[in-house]
Amino acid sequence: MRNQVEKYLNKLLAHGLIDAREDCALYGLDDEISTNLDRVPGEVERLFEILSISSLVHARPGRDLWRIITALCDESLLLITPRDSESLTFIHDIPVVDTFDPDQIACALNRRKGCIVRDSGIVTLGSVSVEQAFIVLSSICFACFVKYFSDILNTICEFSPEIRPEHAHFEQALELLDGFRPPSGINDLPARIPDTEEGIVHAMDITGKLMVSRRLVDSFFGNISCLKGDDLYISQTGSSLDELPGYIDRVPLDGSSTCDLTSSSELMAHLRIYELTGHRLIIHGHPKFSVIMSMFGGELPFGQRRSVGGIPVVSGEVGAGRRGLMHTLPEALVEGHAAIVSGHGTFLSDAASFSNAFERLSAIEHRCYETYFETLRKNGIEVP
Amino acid sequence: MDRPLTSLKGWYIDLEKREARPGELPDDVSRAFLGGRGIGSWFLGACPTADPLAHDAPLVFATGQLTGSRIPASGRTAISAFSPLTNTICSCSVGGRLAIEMRKAGADFIHITGRAETELVMTIDNSGVTFEEAHLAADLPLSEVFASLARQGGSTAAIGPGAKAGCRYASIMVDGTYASGRGGLGLVMASRNLRALNVMGTSRLTSVDRAGEEAARTDIIRLFDASPAIMGRSGLKNFGTATLVDLMASRRMMPTANFRRTYFEGYRAFSAPTLARHGRVTHHACHGCPIACKKRTDTSLPEFETLSHFGALNENNDLASIIEANRLCNEAGIDTITAASTIACLAEIRQTRYTGAALVEKVKEIVTGKGDGELLRLGSALMARELGVPELSMSVKSLELPAYDPRGAYGMALAYGTSTRGACHLRAYPIAHEILRKPVATDRFSFSGKARIIKIAEDLNSVVDSIGACKFAFLGASLEEYAKGFSAVTGLELDTQDLLRIGDTISSLERHINTLRGFTRADDMLPQRFYTEAGTNGPGIEIPPIDRAAFEEALDRYYRIRGCNPDGTLTEIRTRGIALCATR
Ligand code: SF4
Repeated sequence: MRNQVEKYLNKLLAHGLIDAREDCALYGLDDEISTNLDRVPGEVERLFEILSISSLVHARPGRDLWRIITALCDESLLLITPRDSESLTFIHDIPVVDTFDPDQIACALNRRKGCIVRDSGIVTLGSVSVEQAFIVLSSICFACFVKYFSDILNTICEFSPEIRPEHAHFEQALELLDGFRPPSGINDLPARIPDTEEGIVHAMDITGKLMVSRRLVDSFFGNISCLKGDDLYISQTGSSLDELPGYIDRVPLDGSSTCDLTSSSELMAHLRIYELTGHRLIIHGHPKFSVIMSMFGGELPFGQRRSVGGIPVVSGEVGAGRRGLMHTLPEALVEGHAAIVSGHGTFLSDAASFSNAFERLSAIEHRCYETYFETLRKNGIEVP
Repeated sequence: MDRPLTSLKGWYIDLEKREARPGELPDDVSRAFLGGRGIGSWFLGACPTADPLAHDAPLVFATGQLTGSRIPASGRTAISAFSPLTNTICSCSVGGRLAIEMRKAGADFIHITGRAETELVMTIDNSGVTFEEAHLAADLPLSEVFASLARQGGSTAAIGPGAKAGCRYASIMVDGTYASGRGGLGLVMASRNLRALNVMGTSRLTSVDRAGEEAARTDIIRLFDASPAIMGRSGLKNFGTATLVDLMASRRMMPTANFRRTYFEGYRAFSAPTLARHGRVTHHACHGCPIACKKRTDTSLPEFETLSHFGALNENNDLASIIEANRLCNEAGIDTITAASTIACLAEIRQTRYTGAALVEKVKEIVTGKGDGELLRLGSALMARELGVPELSMSVKSLELPAYDPRGAYGMALAYGTSTRGACHLRAYPIAHEILRKPVATDRFSFSGKARIIKIAEDLNSVVDSIGACKFAFLGASLEEYAKGFSAVTGLELDTQDLLRIGDTISSLERHINTLRGFTRADDMLPQRFYTEAGTNGPGIEIPPIDRAAFEEALDRYYRIRGCNPDGTLTEIRTRGIALCATR
């Protein structure tokens, strides 16, 4: 348990979700509480008494992220409703409470897996492991980020300058934007698919790690797959893209095994993409500005498309349901080999090169970031 | 007639007097125990030390308050009684249409005591309860029993030749192929001289908050769609539970040769893709379930546990014999897991194998009582004891282990021990996180954190069984969404944590009842084999024996978390709390 606490504390730091170790307290409970603190605060002991849970994380997000979250809290009062589809599917909404009072927090966590505490950060829980609480925390940060910049953009574009509502956060948003510029850099990912299983797993591993470190995905979202002969190698459902070895399924294409029961929920979409494109690898991330720009223009009816920066945007929900993205996404990848699922994330396919696919994923995110600025400019906002 | 989904009305039946008395549960009881399994356990708590086959020990059919709503996968009935196989409290969740017909007939629970003088068929509809002489031959296969009793639109629960012949693991079958399989509840029904129960209802069920119900439904369906285990290419929707065969083999936790090994080379003979080629497969569902995990060709296809145990556990790679063994069990109304495990146990005792036609023959002997039939009808625990080798029964509290080897998943190992009805995979279903990665993956070879995980999962599943929901739904959705649905349907403002507290009461009450029935810490231990013999290693996978000391430490932690003394009995303060709830 102590190992889990340490591992996810390091991850929160590495993912830039907190600024310093002191900003976060993690607790894992079997029959005794393990924590990174010297002692367990009375309020937390009380929470563990009231709630039937096995883990709890209380973190104050990094400075800029926290400014975003508090701005949303000011507007939303009791509840923040995310805009992006993954957050809507998995966390639904985010309760907001005033202070770190066990009864207030328990009241919020009685119905949701996480909440925002105005005076101190985010509190999340898990019934199985510390990882669960970490995932919820990271999801809340993602949901808030996307909502904040989407709301700003929509408000600016919906109203002409004369009738635009006094919006306290415009200036703050512009100031923050620069700090959230997607990182760049060269990549030394393989330009061809390795011949061996070991080589493929290694290529998927370093690609996943780079996607996470360049903030193109939060580690537990997204997926990667690669075709070799009659087998597909694909990351498992809920696996962390920065910890892939051991969590990649080998799936026979002929359907002779059902071991893909643990594979990514997008397996069917990947298979269809391979069928239509003849490509051999797919990477899927959740780059924030790609997600934000994909939602710009309002809800996209199922089956319709638009584009952002020349990249097709389609609608579709996670998985294989009637309105699942497997019915809309694959066709959109045929031409440009890249597409964004509105409010969800970006998919890239390539014939052979992890390096190319990654480069384009990164380039699309940069383009969407720039498009965000351009859209503001077009609507009369002065941006640097 | 409209009826709200909140109230719990039902019938108290005295078969001896052929009397039916209507009753309504007080609000505080339905609030404390919900419905389904919770209500069953509450009723059984009134006579905690009764002999399973005593006529005053109740046999309870109970529905949950979600049944009849638009919340998906919520049409399950809980059947509860004391088990003649294990002597524990026992409750089984069963599908089909029984729950919805009971709800519409205004029979949320049916509490049965007494023994009819002659064998009866009982019918319940909106106008009341009627009894008829059964006039059915004792050895009539269940398909014919169902054919002769079928009423348009209604649902039937019946026992077959297995129960009539005194098989200790006889099941109650519902609507032909849905089994209330484990623990021998069919024998309890036979002991009352009740052959079948017909239910048909006409009331329309109405939710308190339609919009809230619809919102919860939408959230749940979206999560089903996002779950590879449910709607994925190899999910339950496409392949049913048979989809687990490949995974269990690849994880080296497929019980083989009466658990002497954990990998069976011939597993592909009965894997889901093989079954899919067996004929034109059709998909069937319990009432109101979009998953439809039940598969049929011209016959009902076996579930995962049945495939694995008539297959690997008996070292049998002959699919036709597995399907035939399953069909015979369904026709006779006997539990396939215990039947297969008892045959495997006998095979080990005799140092032989029963495969193919020989396996089918053994199942026939159970049904007819010929050959080894009388012996096999005892179940593996009693049989092995009678044969002087009790250690060869792979059971906990006399209930045989299903097809997940505990050496390959330590949460599962602990859950087999602590389950209140014996070695059951469904009381905590740790396979969800240890293998299927839901809601997140946990380390299957570690006991770290598992005591609390199992305790919380037991409480969760007590709730699931008490609101009429199906456990498979929780491979996608969570209690968060179901709690929202429950509140919308019933108007009872119960959130996730409120429901888990109720789950804790139900699980703890069941443990307490077992204590009163003489069960102790020793009964929470696994068969010795799992602590001393290794399983079968695979590529990058080592399956050592379970460290007994680590298991016992995890059990100690579980007891502390559950509020038990080191001997597994509830602490005095917990006992008082439970007693208070149970005497409402
Ligand atoms: S998932 Fe299967 S067992 Fe569960 S309710 Fe649906 S059909 Fe019945």
